[in-house]
Amino acid sequence: MRRWIWFILTVGIGFGVGLLYGWVISPVKYVDTTLSNLRYDYQTDYVLMAAEAYAAEGDLDLAARRLAALGDTPPAEIVRQAMIYAAQLQYADSDQELLSQLATALQVWTPGSGGPAP
Amino acid sequence: MRDERGPWYLLTGVILGIVLGLAYAWLVSPREFRDTSPASLRADFKDQYRAMVAAAYVANGNLPRAMSRLEQLEDEDAARALAEQAQRTLAEGDDPRSAQALGILAVALGGVELSPAASEESPPSETTQPVGSALTPTAKPTALVENPGTTGGEDGSSPSPSGENQGATRTPISTGTPLPTRTPTSTPGSPFVVRDQAFECDPAVPGPLLRVLAEDASGSPLAGVEVVVSWDGGEDHFFTGLKPDLGAGYADFLMTPGMVYSLRVAGGGEIVADLTAAECETPGGSRYWGSWLVVFAKP
Repeated sequence: MRRWIWFILTVGIGFGVGLLYGWVISPVKYVDTTLSNLRYDYQTDYVLMAAEAYAAEGDLDLAARRLAALGDTPPAEIVRQAMIYAAQLQYADSDQELLSQLATALQVWTPGSGGPAP
Repeated sequence: MRDERGPWYLLTGVILGIVLGLAYAWLVSPREFRDTSPASLRADFKDQYRAMVAAAYVANGNLPRAMSRLEQLEDEDAARALAEQAQRTLAEGDDPRSAQALGILAVALGGVELSPAASEESPPSETTQPVGSALTPTAKPTALVENPGTTGGEDGSSPSPSGENQGATRTPISTGTPLPTRTPTSTPGSPFVVRDQAFECDPAVPGPLLRVLAEDASGSPLAGVEVVVSWDGGEDHFFTGLKPDLGAGYADFLMTPGMVYSLRVAGGGEIVADLTAAECETPGGSRYWGSWLVVFAKP
């Protein structure tokens, strides 16, 4: 009985070592991921880039296509989420304003319409 | 009856545990798949990310911010990656605006190594330049610097809220850091004139090339100038600055022998006509293709 207790204990220790190695020392490295797999702060910065470009180009269809790369979520919702994260991450006011402009434009946007100019 | 098996069962237990632990950590519940960084993107998504960085750069003229973003891709040579992508974009017939933006950013990065200085930020409002606008050769906006700890990635170093947004949260902390000199780009509306046109024989130049240099009135090279080459039944567009190694104002086009080409800058200006591929001859008698060099300049 005592032998079994020691055996189970050593299995537990080994399991812990395995987790330490697999999660911390040598975690799985992902390659060939998509934009939708990016961590949320990177995604937020990507949305900000789209907003910066939209502010200069005024092409809402193009902005929507760029945002579509982040997944199946509607572009307006993607920007809304980005605005929330941008506020949490303390983006500069001017950057948050750009996101807000894009979000506002996307609210009345329909594909192919071009949308309102910024 | 005594058990003579010894303590080997303990080693068996440890090994079994390690195997189970690794299987759980790597296969059953690996670290969050969503927490990836731009460096792990598939090549085509990296291209998309790079194009987005370039579009944002052309919109706001903020080179440090663009550099900070490009660093996340961990390209060995960001400028070269941009230039190559610009050429690919043109070759594949994709959006020429995207190619132009990539080229402009590639030229702007030319000679500027990505370094910790890339974290220096300036607000877009202070450096904003519309697409294609004339850029001041040097811009020294107030330097703003990101909060520390902004380069979290897949290593699990999740940045704190004060600096998590790698290139997005900007806290002004100092002024006066000079920013890299920016390469001027073209100003739409000003027609170009032909400053020089010459047929050149240089064995080192491959193929029958139409080589173009775009310059401003002072002779400084201009990147991002759209050049139109046309021939009987066809037309193509290319941009200066997509080969930074050969100069910010340089572009070239491979001619097909026997075709007659004309060349102009998009948006108006002088036209150079009747350009055809022609051969040169070495003193030893061997023949090779020469190239045309046309210099467009602002009056």
